[in-house]
Amino acid sequence: MALRPDVPHSPPSLVGGLDSVVDASLAEGLAALESYKKKDTVKVVVRFKAVGNAPIMKQNFFRVTVSNRFQAVIQFLRKELGWKAGEPLFTYINLAFSPAPDDTISNLYRKSFATDGHLIVNYSTTAAWG
Amino acid sequence: MSTFGGIRHSPSTFTSSPASTTLFRRLVWEGTVPLEIRVDSKELPANSNRGLECYFLQAPRVSYLPLLISEIKRFLQDVVFDDEAARTMKEEDWWFESEEGHLLKWHWPIGLIYDNHTTLATSRPGASASSRPQAVPLRLTLHLASPPTDRLLLAPSAEACKQAFMGQLKEADFLRWGNTKRMTGLRKAEQDGMWEGIKEHNFDDYWRVASKVTPTTLPARPGSPPAAQSSSMHTRPPSADPQGTPDKDSAYSVRSVPIRLYLPEGPVLQDLAPPVLEDGGWSLPSIISAQSRDPRISLLLMHLLTTASCYYKGTPNTLADLLSLHLPLLFPAPGPGASPTLAYALLQGVVTPAEAELAWLGALPSINQDVWIHPTVLRAVDMVTSLRVTVALMAGMQ
Repeated sequence: MALRPDVPHSPPSLVGGLDSVVDASLAEGLAALESYKKKDTVKVVVRFKAVGNAPIMKQNFFRVTVSNRFQAVIQFLRKELGWKAGEPLFTYINLAFSPAPDDTISNLYRKSFATDGHLIVNYSTTAAWG
Repeated sequence: MSTFGGIRHSPSTFTSSPASTTLFRRLVWEGTVPLEIRVDSKELPANSNRGLECYFLQAPRVSYLPLLISEIKRFLQDVVFDDEAARTMKEEDWWFESEEGHLLKWHWPIGLIYDNHTTLATSRPGASASSRPQAVPLRLTLHLASPPTDRLLLAPSAEACKQAFMGQLKEADFLRWGNTKRMTGLRKAEQDGMWEGIKEHNFDDYWRVASKVTPTTLPARPGSPPAAQSSSMHTRPPSADPQGTPDKDSAYSVRSVPIRLYLPEGPVLQDLAPPVLEDGGWSLPSIISAQSRDPRISLLLMHLLTTASCYYKGTPNTLADLLSLHLPLLFPAPGPGASPTLAYALLQGVVTPAEAELAWLGALPSINQDVWIHPTVLRAVDMVTSLRVTVALMAGMQ
């Protein structure tokens, strides 16, 4: 997913020797990093699929901004299911792996090899793929 | 360490790997970072030995904070707390914070936490561009109560950490092959054995099982001449036979290399990273082009790339390709009139040549390969010093 930059590009000044060139480059690098911090506003559809005895949701797909962490999806799912924090809830991508909660939807979407704008999230009351 | 007179291709045999790959895996495994752990003085129980509540240790990069807790607990019991406090301490309420007040995550490897800290330290405006990250202890504050559970994301138990680790193994498996058969094909005792290897920090125990699920860096063609010994500097001539089928367990056959890019204050970027670029035709090993570079750097490059020199269809995807694709502002694509590179990549605390092949880098660990981006121009002298250290380490290991 290309990150669109709007950093003005100016070459580092050569006056003042190597250190000032290096400092100017550092400033330019930091500016680039700032632009990469901008949150992606693209959305994908997260489709929740129940596994085993887990209840099926009436509405099981939702649009989510990709910069969200997976933790937000887990919390949203708990709310939709009406389950409290202590109750066991296991989530998987593509029935394959359980993602780290601080991974972003953006990364998970790409890692799931999805091409249709849908990220499949399976949910279960037990650890299905231990 | 296995020898490889011949290349075996029985379905479950990952165990043969070039000696240099095993060497680098061992180097990564044995990497440590200095930690200075200090109990929050406001939380020290009454009658504690104040002034002694600081614990120093050299922790493995490939370990996790929950695995340090029993050691820290013993220290506090023996040296700092009185009997009452020692009896009533509840390590399930413990949590760590960095010096700057950042909450430290239980499921991040200690090396990742450390590199996060050094990257942030060298990325501030005003940070001297000429200072390489020194090996200063990472100062952590240990809190004994009121863990911010909503932000910690995981319980501090070793069991929760193990589950997270297993999850990362399966994720990497899925990325590489499109399924998790290699992980789920392990017996439970073997899966547990991997975690035991991490807990006990035992390389052989860990890799005895990990080699079954981690790709090899063997040449992609069965029957081709064995990869050069790690001490050899000679290139291996490419075979003239284009009929060979790729080794299905090879790092060069994966669907995607599990590699993550960490920017100093975020985000963490991960996208599909094919091991080989589909640009048609056959290509010579990239080591040929490495010979024209700065001779100080080609020494390490030749070592790194010798074992990766296989005969591919298409060119191997490199770290440089990945970085200029995803971070073009920092790593502009090379060419006439190209802007200068504004950052460098740090992997396991070591400056990594941009020419390194992703497939090879991705075969070093079993889980995701984490790469930190430092926004500073690395001066030639720093680069050479860093490489000299790495080469010396390698020479010492042989």
